[in-house]
Amino acid sequence: MGCSSSLPDRSTGRLGGLNVSESGGVVDAKNLRVKLVLLGDSGVGKSCIVLRFVRGQFDPTSKVTIGASFLSQTIALQDSTTVKFEIWDTAGQERYAALAPLYYRGAAVAVIVYDITSPETFTKAQYWVKELQKHGSPDIVMALVANKADLHEKREVPTQDGIDYAEKNGMFFIETSAKTADNINQLFEEIGKRLPRPSST
Amino acid sequence: MEKSFNLLHIIQHRRDGYGFALRPQHIQRYREYANIFKEEEEERSYKWSYFIEQQQKSNHSSSSEEERRAKLQAEADELREETVSERGRQEDDSSGKNSDSDGSTKSYPGKEVQLSEQPEKKVQLSEQPENEVQRSEQPEKEVQLSEKPQKEVQLSEEPEKDLKLSEQPEKEVQLSKEPQKEVQASQIPGRETLLSKESDKQGQLLKETKTRKVKSWSWTRPSLHVIENMMSSRVRNIKDLKDRHNTINGDHLPSIKKTVSSGGSSAVEINKELWIKEASDDNVDESTEESSVDSKLGPESFFPWKELEFLVHEGVPKDLRGEVWQAFVGVKTRRVERYYEGLLAEETNTEQSKEHNNSKAAPRKWKKQIEKDIPRTFPGHPALDERGRDSLRRVLVAYARHNPSVGYCQAMNFFAGLLLLLMPEENAFWTLVGILDDYFDGYYTEEMIESQVDQLVFEELILNHLDYLGVQVAWISGPWFLSIFINMLPWESVLRVWDVLLFEGNRVMLFRTALALMELYGPALVTTKDAGDAITLLQSLAGSTFDSSQLVLTACMGYLAVTEARLLELREKHRPAVLVVVEERSKGGRIWKDSKGLASKLYSFKHDPGSLVEEKKVSEGDKSLLESHSSNLDDFLSGLSVDSEVDSLPDPQEHVVWLKVELCRLMEEKRSAVLRAEELETALMEMVQQDNRRQLSAKVEQLEQEVADLRQVLADKKEQEAAMLKVLMRVEQEQKITEEARIGAEQDAAAQRYAVNVLQEKYEKAMAFTWSDGAESAKALSSPRSVSSSVESPRRRIGLFGLGWRDRNKDKDKPSNDDSGTS
Repeated sequence: MGCSSSLPDRSTGRLGGLNVSESGGVVDAKNLRVKLVLLGDSGVGKSCIVLRFVRGQFDPTSKVTIGASFLSQTIALQDSTTVKFEIWDTAGQERYAALAPLYYRGAAVAVIVYDITSPETFTKAQYWVKELQKHGSPDIVMALVANKADLHEKREVPTQDGIDYAEKNGMFFIETSAKTADNINQLFEEIGKRLPRPSST
Repeated sequence: MEKSFNLLHIIQHRRDGYGFALRPQHIQRYREYANIFKEEEEERSYKWSYFIEQQQKSNHSSSSEEERRAKLQAEADELREETVSERGRQEDDSSGKNSDSDGSTKSYPGKEVQLSEQPEKKVQLSEQPENEVQRSEQPEKEVQLSEKPQKEVQLSEEPEKDLKLSEQPEKEVQLSKEPQKEVQASQIPGRETLLSKESDKQGQLLKETKTRKVKSWSWTRPSLHVIENMMSSRVRNIKDLKDRHNTINGDHLPSIKKTVSSGGSSAVEINKELWIKEASDDNVDESTEESSVDSKLGPESFFPWKELEFLVHEGVPKDLRGEVWQAFVGVKTRRVERYYEGLLAEETNTEQSKEHNNSKAAPRKWKKQIEKDIPRTFPGHPALDERGRDSLRRVLVAYARHNPSVGYCQAMNFFAGLLLLLMPEENAFWTLVGILDDYFDGYYTEEMIESQVDQLVFEELILNHLDYLGVQVAWISGPWFLSIFINMLPWESVLRVWDVLLFEGNRVMLFRTALALMELYGPALVTTKDAGDAITLLQSLAGSTFDSSQLVLTACMGYLAVTEARLLELREKHRPAVLVVVEERSKGGRIWKDSKGLASKLYSFKHDPGSLVEEKKVSEGDKSLLESHSSNLDDFLSGLSVDSEVDSLPDPQEHVVWLKVELCRLMEEKRSAVLRAEELETALMEMVQQDNRRQLSAKVEQLEQEVADLRQVLADKKEQEAAMLKVLMRVEQEQKITEEARIGAEQDAAAQRYAVNVLQEKYEKAMAFTWSDGAESAKALSSPRSVSSSVESPRRRIGLFGLGWRDRNKDKDKPSNDDSGTS
């Protein structure tokens, strides 16, 4: 898995417009560009999911995210569309929620993460779902991610709870492990599939 | 899996001079800059030592030093009692390398304290010869000191440690470490002067930090007291200001000002003069004489601020940094004796007794968050081992207790971690208190109001400088400000920014640094094709800002117009908007939608006209904002057409407001469009130039080809010429040969002519002889004719031969002449 988040491609030469960030950033029917925001309680593994997806790495001693951090990654789907994810990985501590709207505003996708070993983080995930339903874009694609699936012996949130909650709220649900890379790519591919395609121009 | 493990393993060895992890892509550049850093460090060490020396000469009488030492001594005694148990506990946690320190701590608890003060004495020593007296007063202590783990510090800091290497109980344990120490000693041979070091090796850093942590509190070296005193008065001014403010507002922030006053230094509160001497602070009882001495001198008014500012801009030397920062923050004035221990004790007491009390819910939450974050603070840093983490935990918990209105906020873990690398635990606590309570007051509270305000202010500032492709500046600058650039810039740059920030005592440096970064990297962003690329590029460029001097100087010199006064003004302007949103939100109201307007108000007006009614609420709470907008915009308002959306608006006043905002936005867009057009134009020009260049280079290439061809031809011709010459030579040789042949032939002819003559003579003789005979004369008449003809014929033959040779020669000459003519 290559890291495509590096320097911009000069040859394309198109300068971004002022409003690109607002739209969720669809470029054309075959090349989608979407703003994705990760939300969830502190320590559930948001940054690890992103790092696994973008760089293919896992660092058990990753550092605390302050404010938010940004990475991008492009994937190709089976129908030969490419999706460039512009990922905002937000800080988890409760008070940083005050800054979250800055990042989820205009996002086409929200990935809400909880930790299967902590019911508290599942509650927090539900808070974020409600918050986005109220204040996010109406057509936002939401994914509920149950992370740390490798720690199944310490599981405290049953898979079914996640599935039920996701179903009720029209989200899609997936259990992942950033540590073992389990389902990480699938998560983003699934998001890519569910993105609304721009009507043919 | 294995791959990532290997990666991690490698990363362990990729740490900078401060022991922080380097990103793999930066290792090369770090290496390039390491020498520059070293040179700069040497230079600034020299400058600082000179500066401090000067200050001491002019400001300190020896008597005051005497007092100070006495005080220090007293303090040390007191400290002994206070910290022994604490230290013992810390030592227990240590493992491996520190195991020997356990034993020594327990066996010599009293001396341990003495020892922890040792580095300071050394400082004094190097500065004041009369300190020798003090040394000789405790000779036996000096000897015993040697077997302590702190020897490592002594080792790295003073050369005369060899004197003290003597008997020790744990010799065997120590022996195993001896080689390592030797290495260190040899690495830093000339460490006499307190400023001369380039501690680049993490091993050393590890040791220093570990040893520092053994001390829970230490005083700054006396040489820095001048600076400390200067800053202390600043601290007191802030305190006074805040106290006044708090009494007006009905204070709900039980922050340091209150605790200090209740902590027994009411003198501070009374002193409202600007440059009053610091000695009247927390140690009133101990240092009264000293205070009188110092205040008599009253050196502050002559203090060379500019000089110090200049030095700070160039950076604080590594080994002074911890203490200089404390001096800047005014730790000495802030500190309340036993306050820190009290906070920690409180924590442990309440832990059990009030577990179920509701009021403890918040502290429990912080505690939990702190626990989560401690392993995620500079993960893998050599100094943050078990013991380092314990210190970190205590500092964070103590701060949360100290200022419950803030509690614990992510980012503090990095600040406390950084401070602990530079100073003892309690010093780190008071420095953190100073930074968070004064410099960043209101920043990390539950609502993070000031942080949000600063982002609005920054947005306003930055719009005057650069255009961001639809990137909302706060997305990037938010994390910069909140983390005070930790993890955002290379460490050398972070520390240089902190130097200035702590010196200045406010957040101006945040803005200046961010503006400098935008100035440095803004032009590069033009090439990016979308917001995502721009952000990625900006992040990666900021992360590789190894030229710390350039950054700090650009920030400090390039943005002099960004002053605290201006920022205060702008904050006043933007604060109401934030407050309204926060208030509404806390009420659980529906204003949430507007919080997006917070980050960029102008935007939401355009894209979400439906929310205008709600936005209006914000606007009303934010009269000042809008008024300032209007004052700027009235001039431009006339003669501008606006979208038809306007018609749907219910209220003319609102309409006007909206129009103004819209206009503002349009102007921003126009400006950015103009900017972009200019940039495109320059890009185009460049492309055209490149095009020309390409043509030219093609021509040059063509010409070069021609030249090469011609050269080839020339070479061919030369070859031909050479061939011709050869032919010519051959011909000439032939000519010679034929000449010789001719000469030979002529000689032959001459010989034959001679033979003919001889024969003629013989014939005539014979005729004359036969004439007499008579009878034979008739026969003889016919025969001479035949003879003469036979004589003539060879002559003719020779003549023919000669002609023929000449002709042939002519024929041969002719073509050769033609040949040379063509060449």
